[in-house]
Amino acid sequence: MIHLKNVTKLYQKNGVVALDDVNLDIAAGEFVFIVGTSGSGKSTLMKLLMHEETPTMGEIFVNGRDVVRLQRKEIPYLRREFGVIFQDFRLLEDKTVYENVAFAMQVIETPRKIIQRSVDAVLDIVGLREKSKHFPDQLSGGEQQRVAIARAIVNDPKLVIADEPTGNLDPATTWDIMDIFKRINDAGTTIIMTTHDRDIVNRMKRRVVEIEGGKIVRDQQRGRY
Amino acid sequence: MSATNNEGGTEMNFQTIEYYFHEVFLSMIRKRWMTFASIGTVTVSLFVLGVFLILVMNMTKLAASLENQVQISAYLIDGLTAEEQKEIAQTLKDLSTVSKIEYVTKEQALKTLQERLGEQKKILDALGDSNPLPNYFLVTVKNSSDVKRTAEVIADIYGVEEAKYGQDVATNLFELTHLVRVFGIILMLILAMATIFIISNTIRLTVFARRKEIAIMKYVGATDDFIRWPFVLEGILLGLIGGSVSAIILRSFYSAMAEKIYSTLAFFPLIEQFPFLNYLSLCLILAGISIGVLGSTISLKKFLEV
Repeated sequence: MIHLKNVTKLYQKNGVVALDDVNLDIAAGEFVFIVGTSGSGKSTLMKLLMHEETPTMGEIFVNGRDVVRLQRKEIPYLRREFGVIFQDFRLLEDKTVYENVAFAMQVIETPRKIIQRSVDAVLDIVGLREKSKHFPDQLSGGEQQRVAIARAIVNDPKLVIADEPTGNLDPATTWDIMDIFKRINDAGTTIIMTTHDRDIVNRMKRRVVEIEGGKIVRDQQRGRY
Repeated sequence: MSATNNEGGTEMNFQTIEYYFHEVFLSMIRKRWMTFASIGTVTVSLFVLGVFLILVMNMTKLAASLENQVQISAYLIDGLTAEEQKEIAQTLKDLSTVSKIEYVTKEQALKTLQERLGEQKKILDALGDSNPLPNYFLVTVKNSSDVKRTAEVIADIYGVEEAKYGQDVATNLFELTHLVRVFGIILMLILAMATIFIISNTIRLTVFARRKEIAIMKYVGATDDFIRWPFVLEGILLGLIGGSVSAIILRSFYSAMAEKIYSTLAFFPLIEQFPFLNYLSLCLILAGISIGVLGSTISLKKFLEV
């Protein structure tokens, strides 16, 4: 699913080596935690996968697609293979729950009939069907993140990237969210999640990749934080 | 692979167009004052452009029609005897370049002038019973290229005070037209830049208000074109509305002016209203659209790079 070979990212402006000769393979259907302190290179790794940044050296393949040599007009189609979730949810305040989720389908020109069916289905998965007409400011943090998850998976991506998705949530809500991730993963979607939360990593017992100073210092199946 | 999501056919395209228009109208209504100001600026700029076009084209036409005139007016000094007039007539007829001559008395000249002035002939009342106009011969020349040379010869004939012809005026008018044109082009460039600037600022406000949406669109894989279109459409619409409004104003303006001129200065060769006004409108609307596209493209270039 994901294949990184000798990937180095050097930020020319400040001379920082964000990633240093990284090799990483992630198979389809895996659930991988990426851990490490801030500035370790975690977010650079995420950005490289989505072609927000390009590596200084090395090869990156996502689902057989050569990300490094991607043409500009192909970038949107690469991104359609991902669902992205952020720590700060990033919902549109002037749109309802339903509209927020539907927006992700609208802008890739999905026919309306399919939009309605898919949005209802993912709102069922995250348990927000009955709040579909609510606006984000009428929801709790956990509910908002569930909307963001619904938006991320509504286009049926092969890969979900979650950047500190539980960073703003209390422990009980965190487990609701992790439960949803587990179900999405069980349905066959690959999940890559960065986190600082020891508890989550230790209890989930999934693959853990630790990055420090731009290098992978640990890669462990059923690992702990 | 570049058509991952292409099932849906025409229904999908219609849905997308509907989405674009919805977005554009929403943003135009949200910042209605900015929209109003942009349309106003486009209207004023294009109105000025239209005025200059009308001016330049009419002056060119007038100059051309004067240039094609093959008639020379040979004004006679006062107090010539009938014998002397006959002699002058004979001299004129003998010129090889002349095809026809006609004698016009000062009384006839005054009558013609009264007819030309139409409703405004009252201004001639100030003359009372006196008639300051001279008697003259209206000399028609065979070839318009001979007008200047012939006029020079006629001016030297004894008893002729002055030989006037249209080309004289035409040359001056062409020079004036040229000046107006240069001035108009410079003014238009300045106005065009100002208009493009204000449109691009209006679009920039939309882009700024939508930056969160744009970021999400990029994350979920919307194409650049899909993201760009509503903004370009907004620019086009601002230009289109501004161009149309200025065209409507200019049309009624020109019609009113034409009517006035036909009733008072019938001899003035004003360009016929149709199809001239249709071309003019089309020209203004196209200019508006181009300005809109330019303005939005400029503001998008900076914002849509990732």
